[in-house]
Amino acid sequence: MTQDTCTDVVVVGAGPAGMTTASCLAESGVRALLLDEHTAPGGQVYRSVEKVTDKRPADLNVLGSHYRSGSKAVERLHSSGAQYWPGTSVWEISAAEEPALAVGVVRDGRARMIQAGHIVLATGAMERPTPFPGWTLPGVMTVGAAQTLLKSSGLVPEGRIAVAGSGPLLYLYISQLIKAGKKPQVILDTRPRASLQTKLSVLAALTVDPASMFRGLGWMREVRREIRVRERVHRLRAGGVEKLSSISYESCDRQFTDEVDLLLVHDGVIPNTWLAMSAGCRHHWNVQQRCWVPDITGAGQTSRQSVSVVGDAAGIIGADASVLHGEAVACEVAACLEGKQPGVVGNAAHPLLAWQHRTLRRCLDQFYPPAQEFELPPDDETVVCRCEEVTAGEIRRVAALGCVGPNQGKAFTRCGMGPCMGRKCGVTVSRLIAEHHGLSMHEVGHYRIRPPVKPINVGQLADLETDADAHTD
Amino acid sequence: MYRRRDPISDSIIIWFCDRRIEAAADDSVAAALLAASISCFGRTAVSGAPRAPFCMIGNCFDCLVEIDGETNLQACLVTVREGMRIRPHPGNGFGDDGEKGEA
Amino acid sequence: MNHLDIAVIGGGLLGSAFAYGLSTDGGRVGLIDEGDHAIRTARGNFGLVWVQGKGLGMPDYARWSLRSAYAWTPFSEELQAQTGTLVEYHRPGGFYVSIDDTEFADNVARLKQLRDEAGDEGYDYEVVERAALCEQLPGIGPDVPGATYCPHDGHANPLKLLRALQEAFRLNGGTYTPSSRVTTIRPVNGGGFEILCEGGREFGCEKLVIAAGHGSAELGKSLGMEIPIFPVQGQVVVTERAQMTMTYPTNYVRQTDDGNYLLGPSARDVGFNDETETTTLRDITRRCTTAFPHLRRLRIQRTWAALRIMTPDGFPVYLQSEAYPEAFSFSCHSGVTLAAVHATDVSRWVLDGHIPSQYRCFHPERFDVPA
Repeated sequence: MTQDTCTDVVVVGAGPAGMTTASCLAESGVRALLLDEHTAPGGQVYRSVEKVTDKRPADLNVLGSHYRSGSKAVERLHSSGAQYWPGTSVWEISAAEEPALAVGVVRDGRARMIQAGHIVLATGAMERPTPFPGWTLPGVMTVGAAQTLLKSSGLVPEGRIAVAGSGPLLYLYISQLIKAGKKPQVILDTRPRASLQTKLSVLAALTVDPASMFRGLGWMREVRREIRVRERVHRLRAGGVEKLSSISYESCDRQFTDEVDLLLVHDGVIPNTWLAMSAGCRHHWNVQQRCWVPDITGAGQTSRQSVSVVGDAAGIIGADASVLHGEAVACEVAACLEGKQPGVVGNAAHPLLAWQHRTLRRCLDQFYPPAQEFELPPDDETVVCRCEEVTAGEIRRVAALGCVGPNQGKAFTRCGMGPCMGRKCGVTVSRLIAEHHGLSMHEVGHYRIRPPVKPINVGQLADLETDADAHTD
Repeated sequence: MYRRRDPISDSIIIWFCDRRIEAAADDSVAAALLAASISCFGRTAVSGAPRAPFCMIGNCFDCLVEIDGETNLQACLVTVREGMRIRPHPGNGFGDDGEKGEA
Repeated sequence: MNHLDIAVIGGGLLGSAFAYGLSTDGGRVGLIDEGDHAIRTARGNFGLVWVQGKGLGMPDYARWSLRSAYAWTPFSEELQAQTGTLVEYHRPGGFYVSIDDTEFADNVARLKQLRDEAGDEGYDYEVVERAALCEQLPGIGPDVPGATYCPHDGHANPLKLLRALQEAFRLNGGTYTPSSRVTTIRPVNGGGFEILCEGGREFGCEKLVIAAGHGSAELGKSLGMEIPIFPVQGQVVVTERAQMTMTYPTNYVRQTDDGNYLLGPSARDVGFNDETETTTLRDITRRCTTAFPHLRRLRIQRTWAALRIMTPDGFPVYLQSEAYPEAFSFSCHSGVTLAAVHATDVSRWVLDGHIPSQYRCFHPERFDVPA
């Protein structure tokens, strides 16, 4: 019996971009199948929005009006006619060299292949890796993780909490936490002294998108009023036996040590490119956003004909812009399937809004630059590859040996060979190698990503049945 | 590390090793364990260092656990079920209490 | 222009072994390599240091493999002592496991034929029926009829090996130049060669070794060397780490010192396509779980596809340019097994300036014999 399923378009990721793309396609008569590894739609930004709206409506006041607005996209998905498979992880996209496009998934503990005419990757964003000594201790988590726990289970951190890094999400979360009745002990702001350019960028952003800017600056002001902030923090270290118990850092030429129970870190978000890279889509290094982004033509067309990318996965644009992008990519894909020229797409549908979002994004990038020391950990003892526990010193050593790229580095140190497949170390490794050899990130490149992109067991793969088996029986 | 804002309205019982834990019916396994102050979900393959969830969105793989005999599940992506038995992921050979155990 | 006594083109398992071996002699040796994103067959190796089953139709190859297997012990010990990098070589003997009766019968017949061809110089092996297998290979599957055991077989960590070779090479004063794909080799009047690379780097050398994997054919041509090689794709499935239970390497599965299992093999004729393919990976897991059902519950950590450098009969192609005798080229798909003899014997041939006549069997002229 064949396990195959056929559809016109597979969309991966049920955040605002993915939900909108799938909805839009289904509404125009295209068979769309939306896959997501979570058990409910919303992605990260609108994580558990249905559940919170239903069962914990009081939490909506804590989480804010922007979060609440996520219900719109979810409702649209449910009424669009798009097929939706939650609890489904994608471990493979068949190679371009193979005759048929297929997506390998694991669902209910079983592996199966889905044939499709086109794939849209809406895999969203992930937090930028933040390596520093002690970051692997239990008790150190990302701000996004803490926010997910608040959204999905109404959990609030206990004890003494420090929050380190920078970025709008950091301030949003802390303002939500304050509303939920808990204040962190201290905020460790890792940004350098604001340059004139940075200050000008804030002014520019205020004129371009005053609503978003006031909202963001509002969180910041409110938070900084209530909680002690240490500025220009560097040499952050976490300490403890078996779990976090203290942190130390420098701020304005002074040394500090604090006893803490939880350290939340955040240094901006970057596109989650793992599936796109595994599918062989070309990527380039975006110097401004300091991350890998897929090469895109039109609205979301990658270098591989049957693969598109949408939303933050194509370059960080935020939730609202992701919805617009979803509509544009859906149009482009639908036209493509019909063999038509998409015409003038891209964000031409809403050019002014798109420009506004882009400009705001540029300003935010200026205002919240990634911390130098997270990008290039100064201490050799810092674990860079969490899975294989490979240190910055080890990477520097193999760079000196002649490794000019992360794949050779992987071969020599095992860095990137663990289950996360380099999600938490890839950018750092490339940066360390680039720095050693005086090369650009583009010249150094990124890990070659192979399947499985999400976990699959030997037995699950062995039991996989494909169309080919049906014909040979 | 974490506490619930509201009391559990639809509680179920799950197990982490020998520990009986009360969870909300729609918790992720990771959330349920963190709310029960579990700070070590498993140990690393290389040095046996303790690990707990880091990212909660399925990217760090520090929350890998074994559930009802099935291995390699990310606790942040799986919803709890009544009677669920969770153990640290056995693959690396470091057992429940951090000792290298027999297969 | 960088001046070298000997230039080795290709930083894979062959090139690195030659560079290391040559660097022990004291001259200026340079290893010229491509960058991170080239074909890099060396990264996809299974890691067997294998003797049994080799050499059907060419007993000399079986002898060559056996010689290397025994040279591996001092070779790996020296590398480890010099660099501190463990290459994890073990020679407990190896099992060729069969997953059905036909395969078993074929394998036994093949080994017998090899023994008959080799006579007194054949290697040891024994046929092991299922009942006796359970002790040495715990967890062997119920459908496995038996295996053949050869005490000369072993395994090593190919990635550590590559690293150790390059580390030792540098410690010996060798220079490693990556990101330097060779575009042209120009013989110089009076002897020696000029090597031009993409990006403008240039080298001058007295002697030249071409060990550039798939790139060797093109480079060899300009010096009158016909190197008949073509790609055969192999895929490998690597599991997460697990408790150590498998001390013997087998043809299908081996467990590394870190605890990962490697599952293979496969062979596809797909040109220079180094992408994995689902059905091939699936079939690998099916065969390996027939052999060892307990592998089923392990997570697949990653998969690989790499392009073997294959010759028409599967045996190495070693030659020296007739027009320019200071240029050599060596190609084979058994870079791990033969690493020891490559570092010792073959490097010696290059230093001495000629390939001994007893190894003429590896010259590609053997393919010119009319049918």
